[in-house]
Amino acid sequence: MLRTGFFVIFLLLSSVLCLEDTVEEFQEQLSFKSLRDGRVASTFSFKTLLKDATPRDPQTLALDNDDSQHYTLFPLTLGQILRQYAITELHLTLNAGKWNYDSWGYPDEPGVGVGAELWAWMADGSSLSIDERWQGVRNALAGLFCASLGSLDEQRTTSPRLSFPPEGSLPDWGLPHELRHASHASEHVCTENLTPFLKLLPCKSLSGLAALLNPHRLFDADWHGMSLHVLWRPVGIEMRLNFQLVSDPLRISTNKKQDWSFASLFDRVVEKACPVAKSSRVIVDLPTYGVYRVHPEPSEILNGKAYYDLTNSNQVWDIGTMWPVDFEYPLSKPTEALLPFSVRRSLFGSTQDRGQLSIVVTNNQNETLQMLYLETMPWIVQFYLHTIRVHSDDIPSDNLVSNITYVLPVPHARPATFESVLTLPGHSTLTFTMDVAKTFLRYTEHPPDAQRGWDLPPAFLHPSYSHRTDLPTTLVASIHHPYLLI
Amino acid sequence: MLSLRPTHTLALCILLRALLAYWISPSSVSSTAGFLSSSSPLTSWLNLQEGIYLFKRGIDPYSGGVFRHSPLYLSLSSLLPISIFSNPLFCAILFTVADAFAAYALIGIWRLRQGLRLTMESSRDSLLVAIYMLNPCIFIPSLARSTSSLDNACLLGAVMWACEACGSGPGGKSENESVVSSKRSRSKSRSLLLLALRTHLSTDTLILLPPTMMLILSQDPGSRLASPRGFVPGTKNKSTLTTPILVLLAEWFLYWTLLTLLSSLVVGFGSGWMGQTWGASFTLPDLTPNPGVWWYFFTEMFDHFRPFFLMVFSVHLLLYVAPVCIKFQHDPLYAFFILTGILSTFKPYPTLSDPGLFMALWGVFPEVYKYLRHPLVTFLTSLHALLLQPLFAHLWLSHGTGNANFYYATTLVGACSGGLALVDACWAGLRIAVGGVEGVDERGEEKEVVTQQ
Repeated sequence: MLRTGFFVIFLLLSSVLCLEDTVEEFQEQLSFKSLRDGRVASTFSFKTLLKDATPRDPQTLALDNDDSQHYTLFPLTLGQILRQYAITELHLTLNAGKWNYDSWGYPDEPGVGVGAELWAWMADGSSLSIDERWQGVRNALAGLFCASLGSLDEQRTTSPRLSFPPEGSLPDWGLPHELRHASHASEHVCTENLTPFLKLLPCKSLSGLAALLNPHRLFDADWHGMSLHVLWRPVGIEMRLNFQLVSDPLRISTNKKQDWSFASLFDRVVEKACPVAKSSRVIVDLPTYGVYRVHPEPSEILNGKAYYDLTNSNQVWDIGTMWPVDFEYPLSKPTEALLPFSVRRSLFGSTQDRGQLSIVVTNNQNETLQMLYLETMPWIVQFYLHTIRVHSDDIPSDNLVSNITYVLPVPHARPATFESVLTLPGHSTLTFTMDVAKTFLRYTEHPPDAQRGWDLPPAFLHPSYSHRTDLPTTLVASIHHPYLLI
Repeated sequence: MLSLRPTHTLALCILLRALLAYWISPSSVSSTAGFLSSSSPLTSWLNLQEGIYLFKRGIDPYSGGVFRHSPLYLSLSSLLPISIFSNPLFCAILFTVADAFAAYALIGIWRLRQGLRLTMESSRDSLLVAIYMLNPCIFIPSLARSTSSLDNACLLGAVMWACEACGSGPGGKSENESVVSSKRSRSKSRSLLLLALRTHLSTDTLILLPPTMMLILSQDPGSRLASPRGFVPGTKNKSTLTTPILVLLAEWFLYWTLLTLLSSLVVGFGSGWMGQTWGASFTLPDLTPNPGVWWYFFTEMFDHFRPFFLMVFSVHLLLYVAPVCIKFQHDPLYAFFILTGILSTFKPYPTLSDPGLFMALWGVFPEVYKYLRHPLVTFLTSLHALLLQPLFAHLWLSHGTGNANFYYATTLVGACSGGLALVDACWAGLRIAVGGVEGVDERGEEKEVVTQQ
């Protein structure tokens, strides 16, 4: 009897502990930014923190006695994948469209390359090799997100040396951590990927900011993409789900106004807050030009940003900005650059066997800029490194490219990885060209609709070598490369 | 042309070729003009430059990618500055010298076959120089800087010295016996060294090894096509051929092993280069179109059957060696000639240099010309293939109005012309032993053709 009493008390206590919910935290945030060309960038960010949790030590994979997984807010399906393959850090992005850095500036979430991109940090030292776990995790995520991530196979997988440092921390198990990165430019995001995305949220799309995720409007936006980030910090495991979009209010408005609101952008409003969210905010980046009105009145304005706190509110929210005058499209090139540098990347050559890859980088600053340049290219396009020519303002200056590391492609098996450091003197334009050979393929290696061609993966430019380390990676737009052989 | 002294012809051709090579950029020959046929992935100068660049930067060029040349080229690069490989003057000189040496070797083979000494002139020399140096199949790959030109020079040099190393060399009676034998063994060593080198540069040399070794072992390189007997060894003691064969093979193997060790030494005691260089001929990893018959077949091959047919195609090449060497055992040079033709038609990565070598070697066998059955057909088919190949490659790859089947059709015509030439060469080489010409009797008068009514 006494024992049963204790048991009941224990049960009560534990349920009280669960209700207090100190182990897991969910925060949601939505930010808006009006862009130079009249468009509006919106970023949804849903963050779940699993306090004091650590990623699975890969040495325990062989033992098969993993900790039991009881989550209230953290999605179990994702947790199972992460633990089964002992993933320390994971980043998945699925995007559609080309991010226009020159008129949109840096995105809130840096991963804006076209198509699917997946990268993970894993520790070695388990019974399963890193490559086996990499294969497992991409297949599992392919199932979870209904995306063709299975095609991110060894023909697309690279391990760049410097370009993708872990965003969080790596646990000190005394094991070496390795990176696997793969991207697939022709895998586009669509509704079937959004449904599983919403299922990972504690309130689904029933309440809170996620209620605004209306697929009809999201996938109608000029640019849209979703991402998943899992990382570990000493405080715990953090999972971030993001949805970014760039909508054009001018396209959907009947007049020439830049006005936007929840209702006009998403055709929905927030009717009730997500009850389990610890915080729920909307941030509107206040434009520095023109006359406009933000409605309703923000609860706080700080550093040119309007903050709204939606936590536990039962009010109906339809936040927006209104402009009294028509939008005038800037006809001249804006004088002030949004980015410290601007990039153009192209593949020249009309023949089917040879071509030339070129990137043109302009430094908009006074100081010298050093940046990490990474190309990962499937073996179908082979580099000729001895033809690298670098011109700075049309003067040959081959010494501006340094620290070249190159992993050679293996036909039918492995992509090429080319990493180097570019040095740009202040206010100069650097032109980097390299000849490439277009490989002849077996008939089974052509993608479906072979006449359409190939989408080559984006390149990465990271100004990590400059004294400013806050600059995020810039993805140079991927190239569509028509390919017709046989 | 025939009235010119051979040295003058050679000098003229060299000058012409060097000027051409200096003024015409290799890219205009190799890619943009659609001359896919001028160099293969195994012999492309661009790939060689890439390999050398990577090697100098400390990246193993054999860990993947496009570099499929022998490490011996890399050892060359450590002696020379890297910029020299893109220097047009250096390339012009290198390839002209290689072709000039090959043309000289061709004259040498002819002179030795006529029983002359290597330094004695003959009336056919100028023609042979012209056949080699002014042959579009030879000079187009040279202008495109395909290393197949160097391979050809190497092979012809090996054959020339093999001819010189034959049993009773020319002028043996007048000179001192010991001088002759030492000269002969020197020629033999040179020949075997070049053969070992050529085996390194291009694996198909293995097929040409038996006739070349037979040539070294035979009594003299003169034409015996008209009087086929059996193999005529150079040694006095005709019963014991086993020992000389073994000695010859051992010497070749020694050189080959030394070169292999050197190659491995160059790339830091690795063996990864073997799969990337020699293995490419057996696994066909690069499907860049070439005038051969493999690439299209393996582009369209079901993955399931690929290993099997790769084996079939490789073994197919080996099949010819024994029958040809046995049938033409009385004249190993002719067997060599036939096998060159087989390689040029059926090898995995041919370039224009391979049919070019076969064509040039025709010049050494004028005695069979009148027994050819369909020389005009052969000539016209090969002309057809030669003219259409660049055209269709251009239509397909640059212009975008044709497709692979156009080019493939011309390579098939090329293979047919190679086959026709081969069949005719075999026929004429055997028919000559019977004597007389069809339709013409011994006195050269036309026979009356009797047809049944």
